[in-house]
Amino acid sequence: MADVRNADELFKEFKAQSVSEFFKKNAAMLGYTGKIRSLTTIVHEGVTNSLDACEEAGILPEISVWVEELGTEHYRVTMEDNASGIPLEYVPQVFGRMLAGSKAHRNIQSRGQQGIGVSGAVMFSQVTTGKPTSFLTSTGDTHIVKGRVQLDVKRNLGEIVDKEKLHNTSGWRGTVIAHEAKGVLYNKSRYSPYNYLRMTSIANPHARITFIEPDGTRILFERSTTLVPKPPKAIKPHPYGITPDDLLTMASNTDAKKLGAFLEKEFVRISSAKAEEIASLSGVSLAQQPARLSWDDAERVVNAFKATKFFAPPTEGLRPIGGEEIAKSLTSTLSPEFTQTITRAPQTFRGGILFVVEAGLAYGGKAGKGGIEIIRYANRAPLIFDQGGCAITEAVKSVDWKRYGVRDVEKVPLTVFVNIVSTHVPYTSAGKQALAMEEEIHAEVRYALMDCGRALSRFLAGKRKLYERRSKMNTLLKYVPETAAAIAALTGQDAAGVADRLSRIVSERYELVDEDEGDEGEAAPTDTEEDTDEQ
Amino acid sequence: MSNEINAKLVELAQAVLAQLEEERPPAIHIPQRGLSNVFFDDGERILRLGDKTSKRSFLNIAHTKKFMQTMLVAEYAKRLVADDKHAGIRELYYALKHSIAKSKENTFEDQNESNIIIEDLERTLDVLREQLNLTADRRGFIYGDIEIRDSGDRFNASKLGRGGWAVPGNIEDITFKKANVDYILAVETAAMSDRLIEEKFPVQNNCLLVACQGQAPRGIRRLLSRLHVEMNLPVVVFTDGDPYGWYIYSTIKQGSINLAYLSNTLSVPEAQFVGMTMDDIETYELGGVTEKLKDLDKKRIEEELKYPWFQNRKWQKQLNKCKKMGVRIEQQALANKSLEFVAKEYLPEKIESKNFLP
Repeated sequence: MADVRNADELFKEFKAQSVSEFFKKNAAMLGYTGKIRSLTTIVHEGVTNSLDACEEAGILPEISVWVEELGTEHYRVTMEDNASGIPLEYVPQVFGRMLAGSKAHRNIQSRGQQGIGVSGAVMFSQVTTGKPTSFLTSTGDTHIVKGRVQLDVKRNLGEIVDKEKLHNTSGWRGTVIAHEAKGVLYNKSRYSPYNYLRMTSIANPHARITFIEPDGTRILFERSTTLVPKPPKAIKPHPYGITPDDLLTMASNTDAKKLGAFLEKEFVRISSAKAEEIASLSGVSLAQQPARLSWDDAERVVNAFKATKFFAPPTEGLRPIGGEEIAKSLTSTLSPEFTQTITRAPQTFRGGILFVVEAGLAYGGKAGKGGIEIIRYANRAPLIFDQGGCAITEAVKSVDWKRYGVRDVEKVPLTVFVNIVSTHVPYTSAGKQALAMEEEIHAEVRYALMDCGRALSRFLAGKRKLYERRSKMNTLLKYVPETAAAIAALTGQDAAGVADRLSRIVSERYELVDEDEGDEGEAAPTDTEEDTDEQ
Repeated sequence: MSNEINAKLVELAQAVLAQLEEERPPAIHIPQRGLSNVFFDDGERILRLGDKTSKRSFLNIAHTKKFMQTMLVAEYAKRLVADDKHAGIRELYYALKHSIAKSKENTFEDQNESNIIIEDLERTLDVLREQLNLTADRRGFIYGDIEIRDSGDRFNASKLGRGGWAVPGNIEDITFKKANVDYILAVETAAMSDRLIEEKFPVQNNCLLVACQGQAPRGIRRLLSRLHVEMNLPVVVFTDGDPYGWYIYSTIKQGSINLAYLSNTLSVPEAQFVGMTMDDIETYELGGVTEKLKDLDKKRIEEELKYPWFQNRKWQKQLNKCKKMGVRIEQQALANKSLEFVAKEYLPEKIESKNFLP
C-alpha cells in the first residue's frame, strides 16, 4: 500500500492547475477548437455583443473588424462598434467575468452565448499570448477610457490595467476592443471570419459591417435597411418546457410569498383556475412558500404542468427579421436574379417552447457555392460549424429540389437561408452550432422551404422558357441569310431586303411570345415532325 | 416546257415573298411522303399519292432547316433549267453543300437530305426530277434484240457485247424502233443477268433481258413502263425469294411508296412474277441452300402482309410460308443444280407453263 497518496498531495496538484489548463478544459464548449474556428469565435463574440448592444440602445450598428497577421499563426483582431459604450465601472464585468453557470434566467431571444462571450475571447487571448486585451470605450461624453483588461481566473473577475482617461474631442461613442491570439489561422474558407461576417450581414440588414483582411483588403457589407429592429422582449416562461431545476431557480428569485401567486406571476398562461388544477394534480399546496419548495415538490409541479392544458405562449416576445428585410439583404449581398422569402407563423416545440422559422431562397448571381449553399441562423447569429448534424441541414436535404425545377443540386447557384427564432434554441451541444432534431422545427423549415420552392419553380420555368425561346430564335436567325438569298434569286428581289423582312418576322414572333406566355400556337412550336394540314 | 418549270419554281418563292410582305409567318405546303399518304388504286392497280399535305413553316424550328434547303434546291434547279445544264443529284448535293455562317452546321449534312428535298419539290410542283434537269446515277442495263435511238445514235441492244446497254437516268428522249422479242424478263441481280446472257437465254427464248441491279431505278422502271405500253411487251419479273425481292417486283408492278406520285408513268400493273417463290424450294429441292431470315426480313414480311397490293391468296400464302419456314432463297442458289439449270430448265419451264404469281 506504499503507493497510496493522501488527499493533501492530490489537492496540491489541484490548486496548481494553471489558467491555460482551466481554459483548455472548457475551450471546446466555448468554441475555441481548431485554428480557423478559434479566430472566427473571437470575431463572433465581439460582433454579437456589439449587435445586441446596438439593438438594445436603438442604434443603427456600424461595426468594423480588422484582422492583422503579426507572425506565424499569430493575429490581432480589432473590433469597433458605435453602440452606447461602457461606463468604466462596468468594464471589468463586461470583459472579464465568466458568467457560465450563473446565467440569469431571462426568457428572451438572444444571439449567442450571453455572458460567456467576450470574456471567453479575453481568456483565449491571455492563454495563447499571455497578453491582456486592449480596449477603448466612450459613452459619447467628454472622455474616452483606454485600458487593458485581463482575467483573474480564481476570482472570476476582470482586472483593468494601464487605465487612462483621454479627452473625447470628436464626441466619439462606442467601444474598440483588440485581442491578440496565437495558434490561430486566417483564410477565406466557409469557416472564416469573412464568411461569418458575410452571413451576419445577411441576417442583420440594418448593420453596416466593414472588414479588413490581413492582406489589407477592405470589404464593406452595406446595410440594406435603416430600420433598427425592436429589441426582443423578455417573456415569462410557458409552463411546458420547464424543468424542476428551472422551477427551483425561479422560485428562489421570486418576490411572491405563496406558490399560487408565484405560478400566476412568473409564468404565462397560468390563471388562478389553472393554479388550482395544478395544486390538486400535484398535491403541493398553493400556500406553500416558493423558496421552500423541495426537489420532490418541484418534480410533482412540473409533472402537473405536463398533464394540464394551457394556451400556446404569446408571440410578441419574438423578433423575426421579416421576409422583406431578408430579401433585401440577400439581394444586396448576393446580387441574385431571384429571391423568395417567408416568415412562418409562430409554432411551439416540446409542447410549449415558442419558435418562428424564417426562410429565403436566392438564385443566381453570387448565390450558391458549387451547388446549394445552406446558411443557417439561430436568432440571427450565423451557425457556421457542425452543419452536417443540424436539423436545418436535414430539413434542407429532405426537400426534393428537383420538384422545384432544380435540375442539378450539385451545380445550382442557390443559397438557402434559414433563421430559427426562439427564446430557447435547442442546440445539439454546448458548441451551439447545430440545432437538435426537433420534429416540429424540422417540419416548419421544410414547409417554409417548400413554400419558397414553389416560387423558385415558377421563376426557373420562366427562365428556362425564355432561354429556350432565345436559343430557338437564334437558331432560326442562323438560317435567314441562306433562305433569303435563295428566295431573292428565285424572285429577282434584293437579298438584303428579303433577309431583313424574314429576320424581323422571326424576332417579332419570338419576342412577342415572351409577354404572351399562353400562346402555344404557331409561334412556339415544339413538334419535331411537320404538321399535317387540315383537309 | 422549261418556261413552265421555271414559272413553277419562281411561283414557289413568290408565295413566300407575299407572306413576308404581309408579315405572315412564311410556310409552304408539301404533299406528304410515306405510307400514310399513299393509297392503292384498285381500278388502275397502282399506288397513288394521297392529297395530304404538310405545312413546312420557317418559324417552326423543326422545319426551318428543311425550309431553307427547299429554297436552295429550288434556286439551284432554276439555274440549271435557265442554263440548260444537267446535274446529277450527287452533284447538286456538292454544289449546295457549304457551312452556314456563324455556325458549325452545313446546309446539307448528307446526300440523303438533298435527295429528300428533290422528291419534295417533285411532289409539290408536280414535276419530274428530270424536268428540273437533275439526273441520278445510272444503274441497270438491257440486253436483247431491240433497236433504240438515243441522241442521234441508233443501235441494237443485242449487238453491244455481253454488257448490253446501260440505261441512263432520263430516257424521255429515247425512241424505240424495232423489237424482235416476245416479252421482257426483268432480273433483280446483275450476276444472274450475266449468267442468263452467257447461257444465251435472251436469244433462245426471244426475250429482252432487263437487269435492275437491286431495287429498280427510275430509268429502268420508266423504260419497262414505256416498252410495255409502246411496244406492247409483257413483263415478267425474276427476283430473289425474299421480302426484298418481292417488293422489287411490286414496285415494278404498281409503283413504290416513296415515288407514288410517279406511279402512272413508272409502273406496269400487268407485270407477272416468275420467282423465286417459297414453293420453288420444295419443287426444285433447294432446302439445303436457303438462308436464315434476319429480324429485319421478318419485320418486312409483317409489313408486306398488310399492303393492299399483296392482298391475294397466292401472295399471302408465299409470305406466310416464308415467315413459317424462316428462310429466304436467292436466285443464284439455283446454281446448286448446275450453272445452266436456271436458263435451261427453271425459267423455260415456269414461263412456258405460265406458273406465275399475280
